[in-house]
Amino acid sequence: MDKTTTTKSNLRPCTWVWLTLMVLTLAVLTVGQMGLGGVTIVALLLVSTLVKTHIVADYFMGLKQGRLLWRMIIIVYLWIIVSMIGLAYWLGIS
Amino acid sequence: MQYKSQAVAKPYFIAAIALFVGQIVFGAILGLQYVMGDFLFPEIPFNVARMVHTNLLIVWLLFGFMGAAYYMVPEETETELYSPKLALILFWVFLAAGVLTIVGYLAVPYATLAEITGNDLLPTMGREFLEQPTITKIGIVIVALGLLFNISMTALKGRKTAIIMVMILGLWGLAIFFLFSFYNPENLVLDKIFWWWVVHLWVEGVWELIMGSILAFVLIKMTGVDREIIEKWLYVIIAMALISGIIGTGHHYFWIGTPEYWQWWGSIFSAIEPIPFFMMVIFAFNMVNKRKRDHPNKAAMLWAMGTPVVAFLGAGVWGFMHTLAPVNYYTHGTQITAAHGHLAFYGAYVMIVLAIISYAMPLLRGRAAANSKKSQVVEMWSFWLMTVAMIFITLFLTGAGILQVWLQRINENPMGFMEVQDKIAIFYWMREVAGIIFLIGLILYVVSFFVGGDEEEASS
Amino acid sequence: MTQSHTKISQYPPGDFAIWIFIYAELLVFGIFFLSYAFARSQNVELFNESQLNLNRISGAINTLILITSSYFVVRAVAAIRENKSLLCARWLLAAIVLASAFIGIKLFEFISIYSEGISLSTNDFYMFYLSMTFFHFMHVIMGMVILIAVMLKAKQGGYSNEDHTGVETGASYWHMVDLVWIILFPLVYVMR
Repeated sequence: MDKTTTTKSNLRPCTWVWLTLMVLTLAVLTVGQMGLGGVTIVALLLVSTLVKTHIVADYFMGLKQGRLLWRMIIIVYLWIIVSMIGLAYWLGIS
Repeated sequence: MQYKSQAVAKPYFIAAIALFVGQIVFGAILGLQYVMGDFLFPEIPFNVARMVHTNLLIVWLLFGFMGAAYYMVPEETETELYSPKLALILFWVFLAAGVLTIVGYLAVPYATLAEITGNDLLPTMGREFLEQPTITKIGIVIVALGLLFNISMTALKGRKTAIIMVMILGLWGLAIFFLFSFYNPENLVLDKIFWWWVVHLWVEGVWELIMGSILAFVLIKMTGVDREIIEKWLYVIIAMALISGIIGTGHHYFWIGTPEYWQWWGSIFSAIEPIPFFMMVIFAFNMVNKRKRDHPNKAAMLWAMGTPVVAFLGAGVWGFMHTLAPVNYYTHGTQITAAHGHLAFYGAYVMIVLAIISYAMPLLRGRAAANSKKSQVVEMWSFWLMTVAMIFITLFLTGAGILQVWLQRINENPMGFMEVQDKIAIFYWMREVAGIIFLIGLILYVVSFFVGGDEEEASS
Repeated sequence: MTQSHTKISQYPPGDFAIWIFIYAELLVFGIFFLSYAFARSQNVELFNESQLNLNRISGAINTLILITSSYFVVRAVAAIRENKSLLCARWLLAAIVLASAFIGIKLFEFISIYSEGISLSTNDFYMFYLSMTFFHFMHVIMGMVILIAVMLKAKQGGYSNEDHTGVETGASYWHMVDLVWIILFPLVYVMR
């Protein structure tokens, strides 16, 4: 495989990632503008945040191709942050 | 020793050790006064002993830093010092100012000292750690500016390494933040805010740069690891130290009349202050694992490896213990603070100065790469005695602090301050015993300089 | 060729030191996020009420800007991997222009909040909103400085397909700035 095709094949998923991020952000804005809240909405927002940050780390930052350790640090971090935020919101409801 | 002018570091190091001995003697007196309030009264009252203990610490560490700068700068920049003569003159000025100030503290009442040194003209005295008469403070500024001039001029004409740039940045910061000791506003809140700009931004800010650069220098010399790798680590460590340390000043702004958001800012940023120390531990042990040579100076290696470990414990762990606002609400100004102060200063600054002295002194004295085996064994004994004693001092003070917080602040029927002091006297006694062992360790350290034997040659 | 590729993929793109730095920075932001979330759980009504006052549209536009800017940086890295220095510099310039737009919109937000008489001391919500967005704002500026430095070097042909760690280092830092904002925006502007 020569270098040009590698870069090309790396670039295409990144374009998809960019489009996904744009769409998800607009979805978040819509939720905000409608003033929605509650357990389901918060859960959806958190899942979308997890998806967005995951693909940024994997594709934009290029961690998917690196050694597992470096990728795991960020993934564990994201899961901890997102689930702790979820816990805090759940505590706020009850 | 590769450059003749490095020799000016020697008197600085000797003065540092001499004043260190003085500091610990006063520490032992002070420790006893905690349990025997009238010991040596009225000759040396508690407040004077405390002032001498803390001021000597600062002065001897400054001597150590300056000595380290004069030793490192020629070697790093690969050129002779701009003016060795200026360095020697400044040494005597600083020593005279330091000794006269201490004599002043001991000989006359503090109020009289303030009067005869003209404190009325520019009042700067009377604040913890900044008790020095105004003229002494001016002397410190002159000495610091002279040092900065000297090493900056040297660096300008020579090789500019990352280590020396970090060190010069640290020393400039040290001088600049000290200027806030001349600012003494009437408003107590403002006074405290800017007082911390000297105290906190020194020990949790710019001093860490000096510490990092000395550690990096010693590790390069002792392990032979590539400069490029060591410098990269140094950059990351000091960046973290500054980010966390500068805004971390907020952990002193919890209860002094500043806005409430400081409780968040101070808690969050100071909570990450342990990270640069943790990185220093990883850094030091990594470099030793990657070492390309076995340096014969085992004692210096011990100090260099001990520094990040004890600094992480004292500054990192013991600092974190009471840095969050909800915890600090109870622990503020108790023996917990004293415990943290002791281990942090010892680990971060005492040990790094002893590390560079241990590395440089044999070379300055014209010996081979290291002292004799016999001398090194004595020095390593002193390392373990002092370090273990200091850890016990810290543990006993922590015990005293926890009990104090409980009896005086958390308890449903809180007791008065002096009543509690009686209850925790047993911890103070044990601390004093540990303190005496520390003093013995220090005496052994001094003795190690006079132990002879065959010197160790450098192995390549 | 395969040899050099496996070597590259041992470590994440960019300098080893920047990754230590990125993880440390993420930790700081993480502490901020969790402090916000748990402080909110103590005072849900106040947070929900104050949140309504934020300008969600400008927040969302800024998110789109940062995401796109991040994508441009990806393109810049791809360009230098094909040894196209000028193209790389051009993508970086586009990313920097977007970053300045972010700064402009953020300043507008700060000014309008400030003119309402809101400060760090108004309440816990605004304390967090202002602290976190300002802290992030400083990171955007820092990231811009890095990107500008990389762009100038790329323009002079300072990188090649063999040696472009500098571009990757700057890119990794910029993606981190983006990543943090992706969490910050829904958390502070939308979630209730």
